[in-house]
Amino acid sequence: QSVKISGVVTAKSDGQPLPGVSIGVKGTTTGTQTDFQGKFTIPANVNDILRISYIGFNPVEIPVNNSGEPLKIVLEEAPNSLNEVVVTALNISKDKKSLGYAVQGLKSRDISEAKETNLINALSGKIAGVNVTGSQGDMGSSRIIIRGETSVSGNNQPLFVVDGVIVDNSQFQGTNGSRDFANAISDLNSEDIESISVLKGPNAAALYGSRAAAGVILIKTKTGKGSKGAGITLNSNTTFATLKVFPDYQNEYGQGSNGKFSYVNGAGAGVNDGVDESWGPALDGRLIPQFFSNGQPAPFVAHPNNVRDFFKTGVTLNNGVSLAGSSDKFDYRLSYNNLNQTGVVPNSSQGKNSFLLNTTFRPNSKLTITTIANYIKDDADNLPGAYGRRATSTMLQFTWFGRQVDVNQLKNYRDANGNTFNWNNSYYSNPYFIAYENTVGQHKNRIIGSIELNYKIIEGLSANFRTGTDYYNDRRKIKIAYGTNGTPFGSYEEDAYTVNETNTEGRLQYTKKINKDFTFDGFVGGNISTILNEQNDQIAPKLAVAGLYTLSNSRDPLVSSNYYGKLKTYSYFASAQLGFRNYAFLNLTGRNDWSSTLPSSSLSYFYPSVNGSLILSEALDLKSNTLSYLKLRGGWSKVGKATTPYQLINTYNFTAPFGTNPQQSAASINLNPDLKPETTTSGEAGVEAGFFHDRVRLDLSVYNTNSVNQILNVDVSQTTGYSQKLINGGRINNKGLEVQLGLSPFKSKDFTWDVTVNYSRNKSKVISLDNEGKLQSYILGTNRTVQVLAAVGQPYGTLFGNAYTRDASGNIVIGANGTPVINPTKQYLGKYTPDWLGSINNSFTYKGVNLSFLVDARIGGSIYSNTNRTGTYTGVLASTLPGRGAANGGLSYYYPNNNTSAAAVQIAAGTSAPGGATVYDDGVIFKGVKADGTANTTILPAQSYYKGFTNVDEAFVYSASYVKLREVKLGYTFPSQWVKGLGLQSATVSLVGRNLWIIHKNVPNIDPETAFNTGNGQGLEDLTLPTVRNIGFNVNLKF
Amino acid sequence: CKKDLVKINQNPNASQNAQPDYLLTAATKATADTYWGTANNMDASLLFVQHWAKIQYTDPDRYIYTNTAFNELWSVGYAKSIVNLNQIIKLADAQANPNYKGVALVLRSWVFTLLTDNYGDIPYTQATNISTYLTPVYDKQKDVYFALLEDLKTAQAALSTTGPAIAGDVIYSNKIAQWKKFANSLRLRIALRIADREPDKAKQVLADIQAEGSGYISANSETAQLVYLASPNQNPISNLFDTRDDYRISKTVVDKLFALNDPRLPVYASKTQDATPNTYVGIPNGLLVGDASNLGFTKTSKPGTYFLAPGAPAVIISYAEVLFDRAEAAARGFTIENAADLYNQAVTASLKQYGIADATIATYVAQPSVQYDAANYKKSIGEQKWLALFGQGLEAFAEWRRLDYPQLQPAVAGTLSGKLPLRFIYPGTEQSLNGISYKAAVASQGADVLTTKLWFDVN
Repeated sequence: QSVKISGVVTAKSDGQPLPGVSIGVKGTTTGTQTDFQGKFTIPANVNDILRISYIGFNPVEIPVNNSGEPLKIVLEEAPNSLNEVVVTALNISKDKKSLGYAVQGLKSRDISEAKETNLINALSGKIAGVNVTGSQGDMGSSRIIIRGETSVSGNNQPLFVVDGVIVDNSQFQGTNGSRDFANAISDLNSEDIESISVLKGPNAAALYGSRAAAGVILIKTKTGKGSKGAGITLNSNTTFATLKVFPDYQNEYGQGSNGKFSYVNGAGAGVNDGVDESWGPALDGRLIPQFFSNGQPAPFVAHPNNVRDFFKTGVTLNNGVSLAGSSDKFDYRLSYNNLNQTGVVPNSSQGKNSFLLNTTFRPNSKLTITTIANYIKDDADNLPGAYGRRATSTMLQFTWFGRQVDVNQLKNYRDANGNTFNWNNSYYSNPYFIAYENTVGQHKNRIIGSIELNYKIIEGLSANFRTGTDYYNDRRKIKIAYGTNGTPFGSYEEDAYTVNETNTEGRLQYTKKINKDFTFDGFVGGNISTILNEQNDQIAPKLAVAGLYTLSNSRDPLVSSNYYGKLKTYSYFASAQLGFRNYAFLNLTGRNDWSSTLPSSSLSYFYPSVNGSLILSEALDLKSNTLSYLKLRGGWSKVGKATTPYQLINTYNFTAPFGTNPQQSAASINLNPDLKPETTTSGEAGVEAGFFHDRVRLDLSVYNTNSVNQILNVDVSQTTGYSQKLINGGRINNKGLEVQLGLSPFKSKDFTWDVTVNYSRNKSKVISLDNEGKLQSYILGTNRTVQVLAAVGQPYGTLFGNAYTRDASGNIVIGANGTPVINPTKQYLGKYTPDWLGSINNSFTYKGVNLSFLVDARIGGSIYSNTNRTGTYTGVLASTLPGRGAANGGLSYYYPNNNTSAAAVQIAAGTSAPGGATVYDDGVIFKGVKADGTANTTILPAQSYYKGFTNVDEAFVYSASYVKLREVKLGYTFPSQWVKGLGLQSATVSLVGRNLWIIHKNVPNIDPETAFNTGNGQGLEDLTLPTVRNIGFNVNLKF
Repeated sequence: CKKDLVKINQNPNASQNAQPDYLLTAATKATADTYWGTANNMDASLLFVQHWAKIQYTDPDRYIYTNTAFNELWSVGYAKSIVNLNQIIKLADAQANPNYKGVALVLRSWVFTLLTDNYGDIPYTQATNISTYLTPVYDKQKDVYFALLEDLKTAQAALSTTGPAIAGDVIYSNKIAQWKKFANSLRLRIALRIADREPDKAKQVLADIQAEGSGYISANSETAQLVYLASPNQNPISNLFDTRDDYRISKTVVDKLFALNDPRLPVYASKTQDATPNTYVGIPNGLLVGDASNLGFTKTSKPGTYFLAPGAPAVIISYAEVLFDRAEAAARGFTIENAADLYNQAVTASLKQYGIADATIATYVAQPSVQYDAANYKKSIGEQKWLALFGQGLEAFAEWRRLDYPQLQPAVAGTLSGKLPLRFIYPGTEQSLNGISYKAAVASQGADVLTTKLWFDVN
């Protein structure tokens, strides 16, 4: 008996109608959506089951009767639900239960309350299997890796898709600014994000074909759908950043060498006054001429906070307003957001203005038109100086430092005559001069836009067309001032990057109930993608006059370079889902790509995937009070990767002419005309289970990924005539386990307690690098003598460098000069990839109060720290105190006849030396054995002792493990009856803290979580900026 | 659509074709820059032979190096110089221009000499042939020198003053006759390098040259050198001193120049900035950082302004060196020339190279301390050649090891247990990227350390 069912759907939390809710007749293809007032009508037969589902809510099923009464359906919000609707590849929403792979999502509030200026940082610890390495300092790049590195040399960052539009997440490092420029995805405004769905690997992402190997992050922005009241939302966020991890400096000895120091010009005219190390006299108030004293003796004393004093409290203001509305014909949302950040490094700042317009227009019952336009304008007048470069670094000078220097005396860095001054003039410029005059500005304009048409041709068959583009222009102005030490004429550089990616996609979708048991849901489609990348750098290497930053103000010829890259991919794809009685599903996908980057013989390639799910709890009717849900899933997929443009034919590059003679030389990479695409195959299986009415929710995945035929720019012995060769070869395996556990230990009307636990481990192994087995390692990154390798037989990302020489019992072998003998054969010193990642989030809600805190751990993995190495060499670190003077346990010694070039001779403390030779009390003996196996007895002055092992990389490799209190949020939502009187729909205030506390770490003086950049050469720390803790508050008002 | 895709992938950023003249300029400039530059000259060989010393950051002067310190000669030699010179040879064959081939072979032989002189065993036969050899094996030093002598013989035969013209030559401005002399002078240098080991071969090479008849570099104006230009094509030393002040002249060379009343002292050393009793003050090699800077930046001498000028040359083979070589060949009985005569001419040529007046030269040469000692030609030639090669660190380092004169004392706070370096360490990248070949070379030649003696260095 056919009846017409009507009803209204409301949300349990606030009783407001829910538009856009899917209503379907179970086992058929009949379906509709609620309108903006939450209402719907649908034809059905008596005894049919209606299924009502909506993203973020528990679906409900209601049997149809012929009472004729409108249904009143109340949906309950379901955070962490096992069976919700999720967004999958190509932005297609599906019931999670029908999927044969892991998907994990985040909601708006997970990322927007405790904001990060780089969106990536906000993901850390929140998704199993996702490894985020945060920015150094308080601005800069962050790296995100899902399920380990699957490509030896390529980009291992996931693909980012915003509202169906593939957006760029490049990081253009530049070469001269020594700035850690943020990766491009940080442009997104977290306040605009409604949800994030993470497709964790090839299985989930197979439909993206050649770009899916590293996983996909799908971002959905907020729409006007279901907006209520005036539709105006105001959001204001203010956070304060203070230094968290900071080197532990010593405050007992000042600048100099061999205990001696006296200042004349800071460039070597005095006693050790050109030495930028702290092996000088004791900071005991003795009178010594210093840089500020005009040749007069002044007390030589410690300024324990001299480095900390240089930094400021960073302030970030993030304010936004949005306007949303909807009717049955359209909905829209327009938002504006302003970010203004002043950094902890003096004179550093960045700002962002973003506008997002999202509209949907439904002219009739068949056609839906959606347009999205996002305009972002980034303006940074000066980003903080990172890395160890002389004219631009922040931490370089503080690691090569005189511990007696009071930076407050350097603040006015020019004297009355306009001359700059500093504590050291042989190598450095005044750090304030560097901060205020050697600036790097970044100005970026970006637009992300799309138009989507959806047309319902007949019942069950619809067509979808979307074209979207991401375009930005990033301009940088790099200024080095006249008079900078090392760059006396200064320099000026302008770099411009233009990036554009356009995707046009068409799709035909068909849904059909085959019979009582089987349903079919599938589509076919095609995509054309064009990626353009242009780069233009110009440098005036020596300025003609001071203070004028134009390219024509140059005394040397300009140095220019440009790059133009274009690649195009054509694709066809198809997907089919076969459902059986709504508890068993089989999914098949296939995609064929044609990429311009490959040779014509191999530019076409096909990627299939298959996966399935079985809801055992329904199939076998296992549901009980203990077991509420049980699903098994599994799948296999093959995806791949093309390459970047122009990798097939060798080229010759031009360099600036020598006089009138042009210069041309072979490029350093030997290219490959027979390139094939990379292939990654991945198997995945999982279990999802709910217990005790879903109070306990478990989602467990195991996977095994093999990546073969890697396109590798392998470093080769330069005796081949090239530095690198592009090859197809190599095999890397990643195996892993992911567990998400959701607990609701306590739940009552007023109080709930939710716990989310994420755990993941990934084990990688480089099986081979080339098909002939000749290559043993691939260099991912280098710092000093330490290399980060993908080495055959090793996990991905091993650290390889100088080690101690040890005897058979493991004792360190000490040379005749008293310092350790470096092993002439380099050794593996660790790997940067962690063993496992884990996090626990606890969330408590009592009436309107919500408290949550996230603890995040990364265990295992190693890091080489150049801050520790250099700080040991220069004697600025507190760790160099032992042995410096009798009070610090130093041993006594003398030089026979006071000949300091001879070997020192140890004597008992307090005794005098033969011939009245001077007795020193800063002797140290390196613990180890001599070549003959007997204990080392050679005594060294502390300065020689500490310098004596700084070329042993092993000494500065530490465990990179940490446990952090990542995020604390305390929010209060005012009762709606209170705020209604003020014309508000809701008002929420929250106190938020990010990166508050490192509960545990092993590496001294630095934060072990430091992204070197977003590339694969991690595990190296190089005089990074101190990391910060952020504390702030957030106010959200809805009218 | 395939055609469209292939067309999109045409590289608009670089040329797929090379031109021999442009390659020649680039290869010459790249090699000269590293030959005269920081890593190989200022921070290594000039310190080893005690021409220069460090007053700041003294680790290299104390022989403290890592295995990345000597990357540059290797990487530039193979991957910037030899690879492009080989391309010139290929183009020369295709375009039937044997003069390009000859010039490229001469330069390539010079680069290989630099490599083997400093590292010992090096890839030669399998080098720069990436499509066949991804991990080239190392050839023994003897085999490398022998092969280079053959290459230079081939070059000599290919070079023809009546042949097609070349361009892009920034050493001799495309004059083929000069290249023929450069080729022979390099053969002479290599012949003497192996003289202690393979005297018969050395003698044969000199006889061949004599028979072929194109002669050696025979005037200061014929010296093989790259004359630098103004910034940004300035001399690497000038470039460094623009922004750094780490080097002083070594006390060893200043003492010797004083002892000999050598008129080259004011050329080799600058006056101290603050007036000092001796005007020219060198500093001992290998002091601890504090001890070095305590000598006073203003009270010690930088290298002479001749060497600090933007347009100073990078000398590859000087006329004086050729004369010293000919003197030694005579002293060894390889030729029938007059050793003492040639020695005097060599000293004279060296002084003239720096514009010293004839009368001053005559006085200098007449001094007993300068005169040739036939009983110990290695000492006479060794000491004067060491002075003549001032600034040419790599060649001075090779000849000091071979002739064992002057007798140098190790750096004050040296770290080699009283020894001086006798070679460069192989780049650390060879261990990770060419491990099997590297290990075989180390097994054959001896430990990969600074103090391992190379094949040519007999005593």
